[in-house]
Amino acid sequence: MTDDRQLSHLLRTALPSVDVPEPSRDLWPDIVQRAGTRERFSAADVSVAAIVVIALLLFPQWFWFLAYHL
Amino acid sequence: MPDGLDGELLERFVQGDQAAFESLFRQFEADVYRWIVRIVRDRSAADDVLVEAFWRAYRGRARFDPTRSFGAWMRRIASNAALDHLRAARTRAGWRTADDRIPSAPPPDRAIEESIAQAFRSLPPRLQIVATLALVEEQPYAEIAEALDLPVGTIKSRVFRATRLLRKELARLGITA
Repeated sequence: MTDDRQLSHLLRTALPSVDVPEPSRDLWPDIVQRAGTRERFSAADVSVAAIVVIALLLFPQWFWFLAYHL
Repeated sequence: MPDGLDGELLERFVQGDQAAFESLFRQFEADVYRWIVRIVRDRSAADDVLVEAFWRAYRGRARFDPTRSFGAWMRRIASNAALDHLRAARTRAGWRTADDRIPSAPPPDRAIEESIAQAFRSLPPRLQIVATLALVEEQPYAEIAEALDLPVGTIKSRVFRATRLLRKELARLGITA
């Protein structure tokens, strides 16, 4: 047995295949629900927006710099 | 038409028709699910990744070319969703580099399999996904390349790097491969 085949054999023994032909339940309702959920802004998005607004109020000359980098 | 699908169905999907989307979901759900299970190797996680993958497909439907294979496109999206799941799982597990850990003694026989699985899970996710498909599931390189939207050469290189890292980690654990 070559080294690669031996490694494959070891991995297949340690990571047995999960023989599941289909999901445990109907997942279509989950997808519909997900599609109906509005995307929310994350805290990071809100923080970046706030920083940009404050920076523009304090330093309006930064507009083109921020426009280029954002 | 690739996949033997009705072109009008795909056009309706691209335009956002939910009935067309459901029809495609019903036709491809099992195939995509089996692909995801091969990668994440966990039934509960596979359910979540499947929902995420089809949601991403719906959200990105405008980028789908109805003259191309929906199955191949869906498999690429599912692979990326599965890869994101592996990354998140790794973050939750509090990943550390092998060099940070204290060298361990060879494990007892019954713990060897768990040690191998642990070594495998310690691989960077982009190497782990390729190694899972190539070394464990023995999928052809061309098929993996198509699913991950990468050149075959990149897949070969990642398999090589995954193998090298695994051997190093297994040697550290006192397991010869």
